[in-house]
Amino acid sequence: MSAGDWERRYNESPCGLLSSSADGSILEANATLLNWLGYRLDEVVGRSFTSLLDPGSQLFYATRHLPVLHLQGHVDQVALTMVTAGGTPMSVLVNSVLIPDENSAVVRTAVFDATERLEYERELVNARRSAESSESRVRILQDVSSTFGLSVDDKDVVEAFAEIAREAFAATHASVLLWDESGDLYLAAGTNPLWGNVAPVQALRHSPVEVVVTVDDAETEYPHLAAGLRKARLEALSIMPLSTETEQLGILVCLFARKRDFDAQFFELQRALGRQASQTLVRVRLQRRLSHLALHDQLTGLANRQQLLQSIDAAIAEAELTGHPLSLLFLDIDGFKAVNDRLGHSAGDTVLREMAERLRSAVRADDILGRMGGDEFVVICPSADARAAASIAERLRTYSRQRIEADPLPLSVSASLGVATYRPDVDVRPSPGELLARADAAMYESKTGGKDIVSHAPLPAVDTRT
Amino acid sequence: MVPTSTDEVLVRNNVHVSGNASGRAMIFAHGFGCSLESWRLIAPEFEDDYLVVLFDHVGSGNSDIEAYDPSKYDSLDGYAEDVLDILEALDLHDVVFVGHSVSCMIGVLAANRDPSRFGELILVGPSPRYINDDSYRGGFERVDIDGLLDTLDANYLGWAGTMAPVIMGNPDRPELGAGLTASFCSIDPAIAQHFARVTFLSDNRSDLPEVSVPTLVIQSSDDVIAPMEVGHYVHRSIPGSRLTVLSTTGHVPILSGAPELVTEIRRHLT
Repeated sequence: MSAGDWERRYNESPCGLLSSSADGSILEANATLLNWLGYRLDEVVGRSFTSLLDPGSQLFYATRHLPVLHLQGHVDQVALTMVTAGGTPMSVLVNSVLIPDENSAVVRTAVFDATERLEYERELVNARRSAESSESRVRILQDVSSTFGLSVDDKDVVEAFAEIAREAFAATHASVLLWDESGDLYLAAGTNPLWGNVAPVQALRHSPVEVVVTVDDAETEYPHLAAGLRKARLEALSIMPLSTETEQLGILVCLFARKRDFDAQFFELQRALGRQASQTLVRVRLQRRLSHLALHDQLTGLANRQQLLQSIDAAIAEAELTGHPLSLLFLDIDGFKAVNDRLGHSAGDTVLREMAERLRSAVRADDILGRMGGDEFVVICPSADARAAASIAERLRTYSRQRIEADPLPLSVSASLGVATYRPDVDVRPSPGELLARADAAMYESKTGGKDIVSHAPLPAVDTRT
Repeated sequence: MVPTSTDEVLVRNNVHVSGNASGRAMIFAHGFGCSLESWRLIAPEFEDDYLVVLFDHVGSGNSDIEAYDPSKYDSLDGYAEDVLDILEALDLHDVVFVGHSVSCMIGVLAANRDPSRFGELILVGPSPRYINDDSYRGGFERVDIDGLLDTLDANYLGWAGTMAPVIMGNPDRPELGAGLTASFCSIDPAIAQHFARVTFLSDNRSDLPEVSVPTLVIQSSDDVIAPMEVGHYVHRSIPGSRLTVLSTTGHVPILSGAPELVTEIRRHLT
């Protein structure tokens, strides 16, 4: 075959053929490729192959295709977009081989027109991309709901939320700030380098909707915030209010080291996560209120009978463990029935509330005060022997005697008290009911002995089992 | 932040140390799209005189993919932190940092954070910002970066065949070796997408004037990724820096123009 035959075959090949130097300068190209692209040979020789690609493909070719070609010696079926002389994009698949030469290597490249195939693949890729993106959002929301399902208090919820948000938004920092009772925000979970370093921006803290602020946005409106962001090498922040229909709970603050696209999907996911977190916070707070209600007396806020029995049980176990004595005081208001009957239930309630306040101020810090029901109160005094218990009881008795400002008339009451003491080193361990019954019996003795006095339960027989 | 142990750092970043144990330390940082393998023609040239350190960025090559925390690596600062971790783990000072492509800015950020570790910055094909902005010509528009992400995706369908694990022995290129099972420049497709965004959408122009370490900017002629104008911009912005223009063209002189690049680096260091 003559050289002319070879040349014809080269030029009439059904694929584009191209040779270039190792760094990409075009040395030759066949007629097929030139026809596709609409260039003359002299227009492409000396140019870089990269310059025939669209910008996206240039970036890919230079950063990925070329290194792999050099290292591996070949690359196969790389999808690129070339640009014709007229500016029309053309999807191609490219195979290249690097042929080592004495002086420098030569790259031989075959180009296949793949417009239709790549169009089709692009549709597949787009479909997959959108499926993956919605799948990942669903997964994040599923994760968050199972994590929140395990949360038992505010701390659990906000810590899980800050971590989930940081991951979901690839944020450099994520933090949850909650409103406290006095109307201040406190950092409840996560990290926030601006906290304590940048004066709060009220407009952002109180924003009713989610908001994104970039350093450049902040520059004019909130210069100190912009400065704080720059100092922390951050470029943007997002704020998502956490609220219910009736209540502002707090805000989620995400901080980003890089400006990025805050698109509709970003905001959608922020809102969805914010809703879940808010609902969970409301749920755990409600549960906490309910369990508080179950163990506390609503009128006085003191521990109720159920809570007292649990606490006495725990206190007996603790006494046995430490060997310290435990005393129980039982208090009954004298003449309470008469107050209720003559002045009405509202006056009765006032007396109970006032009495609860006084008892609270009379007991020691570690004592547990509760209302058994009616006009009966109980104080659990850990590490108190009979003598210490007597002085606490005496204080309670004195405090009870002070006048109470009630409607319609001020009135005074008194209290009868009974004391029972458990000495772990000598006594048989009592049940909570037994210890309580002994204190109750002693209180009854005070009633029958003339009221407004303190009586001690007789010490039980010494344990002789040892 | 949880302190990371030396071993963890070395495994996380697939750190390789070779060369002259008593020589000055020289660390090579690869660019987006490849791995430490991209230094194959450069690093061995310095092993006689220098303690040569090679590593993979987390997410690339044989790094620990498990360590890829999207929050940390959402900006180049995360990668810079890793460079400092490596220098600390090996207790290196007066280091010659050689960065290619995006790793130039990673080196700048690391050197600005702790200049005491660095003796020289050698930046091959740096760009502080790839996107045009007013009078600044980075070379690309925002939409072009989407084009790159599309191209990454388009090549992901055939990823396994083209870019990922190949090589079971290549008779034409015995130096690649039959035992070489690693893929070239392997990168997880999802990480590639994210790394591409972080690389090409970052703006580190304001970090350049902060550089206090002596710097050499090495610019290829005719590099579409980091055009000549950008090379001049970097040179102008880094106080006291030097600029060298290679006769080699294209964005990967570390592979396509290795001898010239080695000569220039040597000339600068002696």
